[in-house]
Amino acid sequence: MNKATPGGVTRRGFLGLAGAAIAAPALAACNVSGNSGANNSGGGGGSLKFWDMPWGTPAYNELGKKLVTGYTPPEGSGKATYQVIQWNGFYQTFSSAIASKTGPAVSSGAGFQAFQFADQGQIAYADDFIETLKKDGTYDDFLPGVIDTMKTDKGYVAVPWQTDVRPFWYNKALLDQAGAKVPTTWDELLAAGLALKKIGVSGFATGSGADNPGGSHHMVAMMINNGGGLFDADGKPDCVTEANIQAMSFVRELTNEGIIDKGAVSYTIDNLDTQWNNKKAGIGIHSPGLAARASKVGKDLHVMSPLKSPSGTVAGLYFVNNLMMYTNTPSQEASEAFLKYYLSQIHTYWENPVGMAVPVLKSIASADYFAKDPNQVAIVEKWIPVCKTYAAQKTQSFAALAAVDGGQPLAKFAQTMLQGKTDPKAALTTLQQGLESIVKR
Amino acid sequence: MRTLTDSGGAPSARTGRPPATPRSATSAGGRGLSRRAITMILLVAPALILLLLINAYPLVVAASQSVHNGTLIVTGEFVALTNYADVLTSPRFWSAARFTLIFTVVGVFGSWLVGMGLALLLRTRIPGRGLFKVLLMLPWVVPIVVSATAWNWLVGTATSPVPTAAAKLGFGELTFLADPTLAAITVCVFKVWVSFPFMMLMTSAALAAVDATVYEAAGIDGASRRQQFVHITLPLISRSTYISWILMTIFCVNDFPTIYLLTGGGPVDATSSLVVLAYRSVFQDLQTGPGVAIAFLMTLVLVIISTTLYRQIRKVDIA
Repeated sequence: MNKATPGGVTRRGFLGLAGAAIAAPALAACNVSGNSGANNSGGGGGSLKFWDMPWGTPAYNELGKKLVTGYTPPEGSGKATYQVIQWNGFYQTFSSAIASKTGPAVSSGAGFQAFQFADQGQIAYADDFIETLKKDGTYDDFLPGVIDTMKTDKGYVAVPWQTDVRPFWYNKALLDQAGAKVPTTWDELLAAGLALKKIGVSGFATGSGADNPGGSHHMVAMMINNGGGLFDADGKPDCVTEANIQAMSFVRELTNEGIIDKGAVSYTIDNLDTQWNNKKAGIGIHSPGLAARASKVGKDLHVMSPLKSPSGTVAGLYFVNNLMMYTNTPSQEASEAFLKYYLSQIHTYWENPVGMAVPVLKSIASADYFAKDPNQVAIVEKWIPVCKTYAAQKTQSFAALAAVDGGQPLAKFAQTMLQGKTDPKAALTTLQQGLESIVKR
Repeated sequence: MRTLTDSGGAPSARTGRPPATPRSATSAGGRGLSRRAITMILLVAPALILLLLINAYPLVVAASQSVHNGTLIVTGEFVALTNYADVLTSPRFWSAARFTLIFTVVGVFGSWLVGMGLALLLRTRIPGRGLFKVLLMLPWVVPIVVSATAWNWLVGTATSPVPTAAAKLGFGELTFLADPTLAAITVCVFKVWVSFPFMMLMTSAALAAVDATVYEAAGIDGASRRQQFVHITLPLISRSTYISWILMTIFCVNDFPTIYLLTGGGPVDATSSLVVLAYRSVFQDLQTGPGVAIAFLMTLVLVIISTTLYRQIRKVDIA
């Protein structure tokens, strides 16, 4: 009964093969899940995995790969590997990789990612690394205050490497055409906006459409500028404050005066860039790379000084992008050795402009190659000293900010304000409730 | 009809072996499963195990997540049905459910009407019919990312082609994606546009199976075109119609990219469907439990709708 036909397979043999085929991946899976050791720990075969995001033009990642593959590890450590992780779905990518122990040993990532994963026990705190930076003098090379933004009660969750500021930009040619002067206060911003409106140009370019966190950033930036913010000094949601109500009342005025584009509520990042390129945006908050993004009008675009608010405060919003180390690593020493090397090389990104944000190191900010771009210099000199993070008024950032930035309550709030119909206090009250529900979890 | 069970008594054509006796086909003593049954179970086992790994395991993990307050990485604390209770008492959930219903009804019946109309039109002998068929399939064939980008370009800003044309025609400044009502309409129309080729294909296939002599007989009996359509065409293609409705209902309820790429669920949640809400809860608010709870509730509703429609198909079969 079990004789094999010539060149064939017996039924029992076939069943055996089928069983083996099933068992092999199952056993392999068991092996993976049971192995928290070296093989998959932040890099197969002892190598160290570095994951990076598309921070600039495609040339950025090409340069990044060169830097990483050019790393010579100390004796006994493996080489580093480079992998680009797209922003689209990055949270899923990192989470699933970390959960399956196949994540990176070191990575860049979203501004609050390190705080979020530290809260889940996945981040190797950088306190020892920071100590080494203090000893070799690198610590003093950081712009004032930026390292402190990484500090939590348990230690430093990451090391800063660039800042993503939200400065005001203006199109000088359009302001000249409208006969408006560059604003320095909210009243002047309103006046300039009205003048720009007469020539069909927005005086507060923003957008809060699909996958565009800009609108949320701009609302928070206005609150912080007026001495407000989303949180109190203890990190509890504190949205319904006089400073915030005043800031959002001003935004509503801008909307109702037609200074904010009627369609801004649905503008994607591309839509907004198109508005700048098409000379439909005269003034607005944007990222440091606006001049490169809106290249058609890039030469006319200039960074404004931070506005003086009605409260008398001068402040702005920034995100301190950072490099984080994970607990799942071939060794902590290997992670720190790589991080030290990488920090020593990041100047390359500004030496060969690849659409980067603003550096955190004084040595880069004061270099000749960086001084070629007066807008970037203005951001470093005028904005960074007065910038605060999303955590404001708390000085330390925390894990829940990852859900606040990009989360539904803030996005909905920004869209509500850009519609210009809702009472600011009512909208802020709804935001408060939304943030409380996120922060409590 | 030859079945697996009655094949046991037939001579084996390949081996020439005599038919197996009942004794030899069963295990010793006649207890338990027959050898044939065991063989079949073992043959099915690989596929079954793969199916369980691919479908059942994630389902079990997701069910666990929906009763915990963890993240994608850590399980968190057991919270029983709190996530379900939170979701069901949230106005945002019911707002999303309402839009999902509108989106599904418009998506299913809008695409069906357009698809059927075009399928009927393509039955007529018009020149270039083949070319039209290909062109009409494009919305279904083109990747949704490309379609959404194209639609955003068409209607996204005040200077986009459609708002510009609308302004010139005296409709004023229309902001198709910024106004909640217009955004909901735009998303629904976009869904119909993307989906009608599928309905057209399904209806065309069903129409092709209808015997032309039925119409000839009806014509001889004096039935008008409308009567032929209502009393002959619709009943004869009803089975296909119900199947296409079931499929399109599932497509619409589960449709994430059409909405998310065009509006992201905004403005102010005006186009937020349940699947978009689930996604945003898990991946933007980082609230895994409530997000997965929404997904399970959606599944439950889909099962009810599909079962109801499937029963309708059986009624048609019986009739």
